[in-house]
Amino acid sequence: MIEQLNQLRERALDRITQTASLDELETVRTGMMGRKGELTALLKGLGQLEPDMRREVGQLANRLKDEISRRLEERSQQLLAQASVINEPYDLTLPGIKPSVGGLHPIQQMRYDLDDAFLSLGFEVFQEDEITSELYGFDHLNFPPDHPARESMDTYWLKDSNGKSGADRLCLRPHLTGASVRYLQQHGAPARFVYPGRVYRNEQTDARHERAFFQYEALIVDNDFSFASGKLLVETILEKVFGKPVEVRMRVGFFPFVEPGFEIDMQCQICGGVGCRLCQHIGWIELMPGGSPHPNVLQAAGLDPDVWSGFYVNIGLDRLVMMRYGVDDVRLFHSADLRFLRQFR
Amino acid sequence: MKLSLNWLKEYVDLPDGLTPEKIAHDLTMKTVEVEGIESLSDKFDQMVVGLIREVLDHPQADKLKIVMTDIGQSDPVQIVCGGTNLAPGQRVAVSLPGSMVRWHGEGEPVRIKATKLRGVESFGMICASAEIGLEDLLPEEQPNLIVDLSFLDHAPGTPLADALELNDHIFEVDNKSMTNRPDLWGHYGVARELAAIYDVELKPLPQADLPSEDGIEVRIEDQEDCRRYTALTITGLENGPSPFWLKSRLAKVGQRPIDVLVDITNYVMMATGQPTHGFDKDHVKEYIEIRRGRPGEQLELLNKETLDVGPDNLLICDAKGVLGLAGVMGGKLDSIYPTTRELILEIANFHPRLIRYTSQKFNQRTEASTRFEKSIDSQRIDQALGYTAHLLQQLQPRARLVGLTDNYPVKTTPTVVVVEKDFFDTRLGRTVSTQDIEQALVKLGFEVSLKDDRFEVTAPSWRSTGDVTIKYDILEEVARMLGYEAMSFVPPVIELRKAVRQLEHDVERRLREYMAHNQSAQEIFTYPWVKDELIEAAGIDQPAIELEAPPAPDMKRLRTSLIPGLIGAIGLNHHYLPEFRMFELTQVFLPGAHSPSTPEEVLPVMERHLAGAFVASQPIELFRQVKGLLEDMPRAVGIEGLSFAQVEQPGWADAKLWLNILAGETVVGALGLLSLSSAKSAGIKRVQSVLFELNLEQLKALPSRENTYQALPEFPLVEYDISLILEEDKSWQQVEQIVGPMVQRIEFIDVFRGEPIPEGKKSLTLRVWFQSKDGTMTMEQVDKRVHAIVGQLKKRLGASVRGME
Repeated sequence: MIEQLNQLRERALDRITQTASLDELETVRTGMMGRKGELTALLKGLGQLEPDMRREVGQLANRLKDEISRRLEERSQQLLAQASVINEPYDLTLPGIKPSVGGLHPIQQMRYDLDDAFLSLGFEVFQEDEITSELYGFDHLNFPPDHPARESMDTYWLKDSNGKSGADRLCLRPHLTGASVRYLQQHGAPARFVYPGRVYRNEQTDARHERAFFQYEALIVDNDFSFASGKLLVETILEKVFGKPVEVRMRVGFFPFVEPGFEIDMQCQICGGVGCRLCQHIGWIELMPGGSPHPNVLQAAGLDPDVWSGFYVNIGLDRLVMMRYGVDDVRLFHSADLRFLRQFR
Repeated sequence: MKLSLNWLKEYVDLPDGLTPEKIAHDLTMKTVEVEGIESLSDKFDQMVVGLIREVLDHPQADKLKIVMTDIGQSDPVQIVCGGTNLAPGQRVAVSLPGSMVRWHGEGEPVRIKATKLRGVESFGMICASAEIGLEDLLPEEQPNLIVDLSFLDHAPGTPLADALELNDHIFEVDNKSMTNRPDLWGHYGVARELAAIYDVELKPLPQADLPSEDGIEVRIEDQEDCRRYTALTITGLENGPSPFWLKSRLAKVGQRPIDVLVDITNYVMMATGQPTHGFDKDHVKEYIEIRRGRPGEQLELLNKETLDVGPDNLLICDAKGVLGLAGVMGGKLDSIYPTTRELILEIANFHPRLIRYTSQKFNQRTEASTRFEKSIDSQRIDQALGYTAHLLQQLQPRARLVGLTDNYPVKTTPTVVVVEKDFFDTRLGRTVSTQDIEQALVKLGFEVSLKDDRFEVTAPSWRSTGDVTIKYDILEEVARMLGYEAMSFVPPVIELRKAVRQLEHDVERRLREYMAHNQSAQEIFTYPWVKDELIEAAGIDQPAIELEAPPAPDMKRLRTSLIPGLIGAIGLNHHYLPEFRMFELTQVFLPGAHSPSTPEEVLPVMERHLAGAFVASQPIELFRQVKGLLEDMPRAVGIEGLSFAQVEQPGWADAKLWLNILAGETVVGALGLLSLSSAKSAGIKRVQSVLFELNLEQLKALPSRENTYQALPEFPLVEYDISLILEEDKSWQQVEQIVGPMVQRIEFIDVFRGEPIPEGKKSLTLRVWFQSKDGTMTMEQVDKRVHAIVGQLKKRLGASVRGME
């Protein structure tokens, strides 16, 4: 009997080890410990033994039962850890299922990136209508009466504006700067705000020139604001766009609505400043104009230029986006071609 | 504008060790943008003066010669050449192996190599002028001539750049960066900037004695039009080619040499920025008059054409008629001829706006008009007069200056500006010494005096024609001379009052993000001007704002709706993609009146619209998707709720599948399937499109979230599907209104027509959820509720229930 038990033990442990699935393990379990199982049968036979044998063999059989149960449980844990829901083989290099996704226009993405940066500095976002008047587009901005930008070759004037001037002569806005006067007239100073939007120029179009393009302008007006502080605006923009410090230089520039005015250049990101085709071998790329609002502009906005001063920057988002992604034709932005726009989501 | 570095150096001694790159950089940072530097000696690298010793026939080719050429080495080199004017003793331009030439003056430059031509060794090339970029300086008289340099006395082997005085650097300056600086349109003005930048002396311009006798009578009709007119009468001239140095100088800065008299006038202009103009004295009758044109007056040009001039144009006239357009161009009689022996030289000052107007009207932008329209000071005429006299003395020793008329009604008044000293400190963000301020300004020609912490600054005449007017201009002068590069960042100190809160702006952004990220639509941009055919395809028949000069004749109308642009975009994209979703959010323009800033300014009405298009093959599914996005939108973006009803069918919508979108009682937009006729007009085939448009100005933003929490069910919900058979005219809305209040939740599952449903009826399946507050519901309880619902539907809508008859 003891001999039988020992043989059973070996057989059972051997079978348990060799099982390859939970199903097989279950078969082994019932084969041993089920109602008709081998061990069960042996245990049933205990009663026919001599009483003194019965005790010894009984203890042995119980230990064996515990051991097999333990080994079954261990093996079951092992097999569960290895088991898969999937029966068939699976090619893990198969691609995932594409989510159905939309996206913001790449220029809009850039604009909201910049909004976030300026909002974090406590700037407001202001929007002006796309149709404006000569009064806000030019007169308030210190453009001299015979400035070429006022002509129809440059600005999209509305029909029936011929012979009119000032508030009566309407156009699609040629730049955003007029919005600064509108905002300051409404809200006064001090002020910190950005005013992104689309502007329009009557131009021949090609890969580098567009009639409709997106600008981003920011303005701070405060008491005695020095233009050494204006660099804050420049750096906020660049860090957001490029995600790293970018070499910039400020140099003299002339625009009617600023005095002094600057051209702000950025080191060419393609060649690192050595000179290449993109930067026309200069190593620098003209990025944005900037400067202190001209006293005539502040006056037009109802502010005393002896008390208030500030700093503007204005950046063309089309070109920034082109640089960010290496886009080589500005006209793609208004093409509504989804094959192009879907690349940026 | 092109600037020659050698020419600049004639007026200013620059410090040693300055590279052309450094000078260009400093000019860019402080004065004007230098867009490029061209090194001429690099261009003429490996090119030398050669002396022809012998010309031999080529054994294999009649048109080629073998030219034994002395290039300063021990033995002459052998060069094969096809020039027809080769002769022993001639000096020629030799391009040695390694140099770059343009073959026959055409195409990209190629590198010269030692090679065999028809079996004969050739060590380089004897060049025609166009092959090495000298066509302006040394024009070819006929083809196949090599350039003859015998007039130069240089030893064989002399580098060509040295021999031709082309050992120079040319700066290309961006004209746009100096439209406000009339003083920089000549070398002397730029030299003055360099003197200030490097703190070195600016040399005076060469001058010569001028005649004290009066010359020809000069009449000025209006002193506002012409503030000064000088006429110098010169006799004893012998016109002919200029000396080589003068030709070379002019050619380098892009002026084609003509003859010595014309070249002198151009040279003076390129040096001082003051245009000058010569008239052959034989053509000027009695007097010169500067006056406006009269109605009907004409100017005859050299090419026999005539221009209609009038009171908007300023003219130079004599006793017989019109000679030319002041400051812009001459007429037939107004010119220097090769035969000219007596000259009247005009150096004058004209009103910038008149010059600009005239040059634009006749489409004549000349070097002179470009300068006059920037507004030049009347004092500068003195520099130009003296310089001209000096050059004449040097180049035309027999010429006599016999008379000078100087009609000088208005002198440019120097601008005086008072600036407080601390103004510089606050605006520059740092303390600047009095000495620094004075030094920066004086070098540029300003006079500065300091009294009680206030500077009185007098601008030089050449900066007083509109450029410098206020203290901010003085600030700029000081700032740029100190250098923006040296300016370190000063963090601004600001006062924080309250958080930025802009509901409308937030809603706009959330709408875009909702469309892009929740609804998987791609944002597009379209132009505000819309093609007529798209407006017609959209069935839009309403007045629009129009452009005076549109990008194209069929794009004169500005959008009143975003739908035409979307239809255009569907038309484009459906060729490539079977399914897509897109949207646009921007302004549309409507006739009307709106004054955002001041009552005197009346603008058209502008509304921000959001429009979207879902494109695929199943119209009903698309329609339900779009309706779903609109139903869900208010909650997602934080606006008051929307509802739907058929009020007014949009011109682009299908006869059945359309709805208006309502906010309260107001129609704020529409959704609908693109009609067959709109799709056809727009060339859209095979796909179905459902579009919507929403006027954002009519939506009311919620100041905060308004929905509230609902407790989770204590006992499980019971789900139950009911299939109704209904008359066609009974709507989901009617069913929902009856069933909704009787259940926890209700959902539409589907609608079905056809066997076994009788004709004229439909089967509508809905799913409802029941819940009891008291415990898990029993089957009996559920049945009871279902019967109650069915009873109501039977009674009020005549519905029967499939499987429950």
